[in-house]
Amino acid sequence: MGEQSGAQNAWDMLSDEQSQKHITTGSGDLNDILGGGIHCKEVTEIGGVPGVGKTQLGIQLAINVQIPVEYGGLGGKAVYIDTEGSFMVERVYQIAEGCIRDILEHFPHSHEKSSSGQKQLQPEHFLADIYYFRICSYTEQIAVINYLEKFLGEHKDVRIVVIDNVTFHFRQDFEDLALRTRVLSGLSLKLMKIAKTYNLAVVLLNQVTTKFTEGSFQLTLALGDSWSHSCTNRLILYWNGNERYAHLDKSPSLPVASAPYAVTGKGIRDAVSSHHKRARVT
Amino acid sequence: MAAAGGGGGGGGRATTSGCGLKRRYSPHDKEEETMNQDQSSKEDWCGRLWNGMDLLKDVTENKHVLPTGLEGIDTLLGGGLRQGQLTEVTGPSSSGKTQVCLHSASHVAVKHMGVVMYLDTSNSFSPSRIATIIDGTNDLSDQRGFDLPHKERLKTMMRSIVCKSVFDIFGMFEVLHQLEVSLLNDKVKSGGRKICLLIVDSISSLLAPIIGGKYPQGRSMMISVAMILKKLAYKHNLSVLVTNHMVSAGNGAVKPALGESWKAVPHVRLVISRVHGSNICTATVLKHTLLASGRTAKFVVPS
Repeated sequence: MGEQSGAQNAWDMLSDEQSQKHITTGSGDLNDILGGGIHCKEVTEIGGVPGVGKTQLGIQLAINVQIPVEYGGLGGKAVYIDTEGSFMVERVYQIAEGCIRDILEHFPHSHEKSSSGQKQLQPEHFLADIYYFRICSYTEQIAVINYLEKFLGEHKDVRIVVIDNVTFHFRQDFEDLALRTRVLSGLSLKLMKIAKTYNLAVVLLNQVTTKFTEGSFQLTLALGDSWSHSCTNRLILYWNGNERYAHLDKSPSLPVASAPYAVTGKGIRDAVSSHHKRARVT
Repeated sequence: MAAAGGGGGGGGRATTSGCGLKRRYSPHDKEEETMNQDQSSKEDWCGRLWNGMDLLKDVTENKHVLPTGLEGIDTLLGGGLRQGQLTEVTGPSSSGKTQVCLHSASHVAVKHMGVVMYLDTSNSFSPSRIATIIDGTNDLSDQRGFDLPHKERLKTMMRSIVCKSVFDIFGMFEVLHQLEVSLLNDKVKSGGRKICLLIVDSISSLLAPIIGGKYPQGRSMMISVAMILKKLAYKHNLSVLVTNHMVSAGNGAVKPALGESWKAVPHVRLVISRVHGSNICTATVLKHTLLASGRTAKFVVPS
């Protein structure tokens, strides 16, 4: 067969895939249902009602992507695109501290090393490696996603792009629904391309709305059917009584599954009822 | 399908009159003379002339089906994905469309039927899933790979699946053009494995950004890519499998995307759905060239 540029056979892709590191969520149970963590080269949508912890998880991932390679992380930087103003810097600092404390607990002799080029385990450095964009309208959102390609070409160490949240500016004031569908489909293809080209994870946080189907109200992700195919994986966060749960709803390689998690002072961790003995950093 | 004079050549005055019929020429002495001397190349322009028996022979001998490996789907399809045809699988999010594609690709690879080209628009092609599916088939009866150790057999099978990411419609036109060129070249050379299955997962996400507005370009690009896919299927005896998503049809109902013009394009259309929380899916035939539509079957996506 003729040569197609950029085409790879499945066997070569398999060995590439097996050497990929995943971004830990902070909760061992969550990591398990995700096959080790959030995958690079894929777009993962995380949906949930307000208050369930989407932004917390988004921030946790922006921190965890920075865990240095010698501690089992990706040692990358993060881009955080904030559409609602949910990014509370004080909380980010807290989560960074929590992450560092867990690294030191897991690797007790790390503070003795101090080779140059190694990331200093200080919350300030973790904050410095998050590139933050605050956008206030859908045109700004379109602009920033278009700009991302150039930005990522100049900052090749970015390994995660979090958009919190992706549908907010498209839900109100958009009269022409057909136009909205076209614009969003175009954005989602761009994000897919970015994930693949720059080998990073794209995480899209999404609100949940209620939809009246088959005689009962069901929770569905905002923008429904036309948007629902625009991601590689989908994780739904929900309440089960007083506990928070995550449900893997869509994945090309993993089975549908649920796992509990908790939002603690240190960030996302395993639920108290989990069998994981202590919080995993890697 | 008209032999659209795109090939140029001949005199500017020559006209074609539809598929399969010989050209009629307006009187132009010099041209007619040269034309008459060149009898065989004239026939080449309008494609081969078939009669019913030729077609039947071709269908029985050359047009095989490629089973997907999912029993319910293969039953509905009358054996599998037919060569020379375009099959569409549509359904709501997470209903199993990508799994049908991955299974079809794996099954062709396991049976050594040829090369699979997988065009992926949502980074959903999973090599580890392919490996799991192939491992699950337990194909010990396959003679060709019989003496090789397991890893070597897996390697040979997986190397026959080629994946390319496509993120916009122009990229798609480019890929299909390259494919056409390489297929035409391979006809001249010999040897090397030939592609027998082309999968596009999903064609609708490439078209969603451009159709539905007041300008018709989007729709004409959709028809254009449809014609190219069908032409590839017909000329090179490929099975083409595409996936489509669903959009709302009002009052909470859903319908396949891509609208009315697309409905006539695929030869076979299946709509699938999955019961939430299980891996049992249901498939229904929306359209089929040979079998009755409306039939339903259940199939299981193995984990």
